[in-house]
Amino acid sequence: MLALYRKLLVASIRAQMQYKLNFITSAATTGMIMVLDFLILSAILYRFHDVSGWNIYEVGLLYGISSVAVSVYRFFAPEINDFEKYVIHGELDQLLIRPVSPLLLLLTRNLDLSRIGGMVQGISVLILSIAGLYAQGKEIGLLLLFTPVAIVSGGVIYFSIALTTAALGFWTHQVKDLQTFTIYAPANASNYPISLYPGWLKWMFYTVLPIAFMNYVPMLTLLGKAESWYLPLLTPVVAALALVLSLRFWAYGIRHYHSTGS
Amino acid sequence: MVYWRIIRKSYRRNLQYRLSHLVNNLASSIFGLVFIAIWAGVLQGKQVHGPYDLQTMGQYIAVCQSVLWMTTFLSPGLTIPVGVRSGAVSLDLIKPVHYLWYMLCQEFGRILYNACYRSLPIGLLLGLAVGFHFPSSFYTCLLFVLSLLLGTFIGLLLFYLTGLASFWTTEIRWVHYILLSLVFGLGGQMIPLDLLPGVMGKIAPYLPFSCMIYYPVMTFLELAGPEALIVQGSWALVLTGIALAVTTLARRKVEIQGG
Repeated sequence: MLALYRKLLVASIRAQMQYKLNFITSAATTGMIMVLDFLILSAILYRFHDVSGWNIYEVGLLYGISSVAVSVYRFFAPEINDFEKYVIHGELDQLLIRPVSPLLLLLTRNLDLSRIGGMVQGISVLILSIAGLYAQGKEIGLLLLFTPVAIVSGGVIYFSIALTTAALGFWTHQVKDLQTFTIYAPANASNYPISLYPGWLKWMFYTVLPIAFMNYVPMLTLLGKAESWYLPLLTPVVAALALVLSLRFWAYGIRHYHSTGS
Repeated sequence: MVYWRIIRKSYRRNLQYRLSHLVNNLASSIFGLVFIAIWAGVLQGKQVHGPYDLQTMGQYIAVCQSVLWMTTFLSPGLTIPVGVRSGAVSLDLIKPVHYLWYMLCQEFGRILYNACYRSLPIGLLLGLAVGFHFPSSFYTCLLFVLSLLLGTFIGLLLFYLTGLASFWTTEIRWVHYILLSLVFGLGGQMIPLDLLPGVMGKIAPYLPFSCMIYYPVMTFLELAGPEALIVQGSWALVLTGIALAVTTLARRKVEIQGG
């Protein structure tokens, strides 16, 4: 299974590397957009010092983890993100008749290499933020250890949400508009402390779209904003749970697939 | 008039999608709510100088999110690259209307649609969250409409120019992204430009990007007077000149692909 995954991926990367210049420019511009976004946020916090008690480095941690995690998801699963076309054009038929699981085929079809730009930018923000916290005399050992866990868990959480959204497409035949609600808006929201948001939004980010557990919840403990010691442990647990549930829902949904027959 | 017919046709074409867009507005409003919440957190318990108290800032963001759908969320390159790749551009170029105005009208129909089915609902939804602000006089309304139209026109020209790049490069995705990040970064979508620190705050209000977001919003909130129109008007003239010149160059460059 793994050998097959690798083989299919290598083929996809080779195909994309035929367009090297395109890869470099799109990776650089994807990174640049996020840099400008963060610069504006820094400008705001430069003038106003903090957002409900979180300083620029602390927000930077949330921001960095979220943007690397979302880039990891977009890197590995571009076809899940663009799943709508498979349902609308009936392209899923071709995948269903092959002797390998359709999900594996979707994941190996393509890697979105341009997302590397987003990862580099997110990691830079993380390094700056952790260095800044260190300069302020904060203990950073645990932060350094935990950040990779948060990134991987975050990637898994985004993937699970995206897979669930894609699976809804088996009934609704439209995913794009839904994605703004389930992926893009939460990805934007999770750059900042979840405590800012009105009740119903907060409730969503703790339950159906559990992005709060990726960065905000564990950071409460690690930055000394909450007493409870166990919050960081919830991060991988919630990610695993989300993944299992979304895989089940996908498996259930795919049985309801009707080809458009065009 | 022929241009008016193009606008109307394009408006009608977009009407097909209104139901799904009305649902999408809910999701788009969440972006606005997030920014409003961030500002609420930033301004919490602080003394602010100038006009930006919590409510004004909320309204600034709300009007921004609404204006974005008219001035900024336009089709990448005004769909020029699609025509260049398929070869359809050759037919557009021989039409007896000027290519620049033809493409602008096509998109303007879509903008009118966005105004009715995007800007208005989003403005109303976010207005519920931050409280409504209405211009107090007819004079402000007039200024706002002018400022909004100029902002839309400048947005159209900038997107048109990125689209024209496809005559040389075919692929314009990255030019489009650079333009978008400049507009989002320096246009005032997240922060009123006069609050930006240092040199950025000095320069940004005079760049064309501010004309697309910052000035229309400030005019609506009665924080900017007729001087906004001077900056916008100047850029409109300059960019029109550039667009006309580059169109002429592009005509000479055109390569027809496909068949």
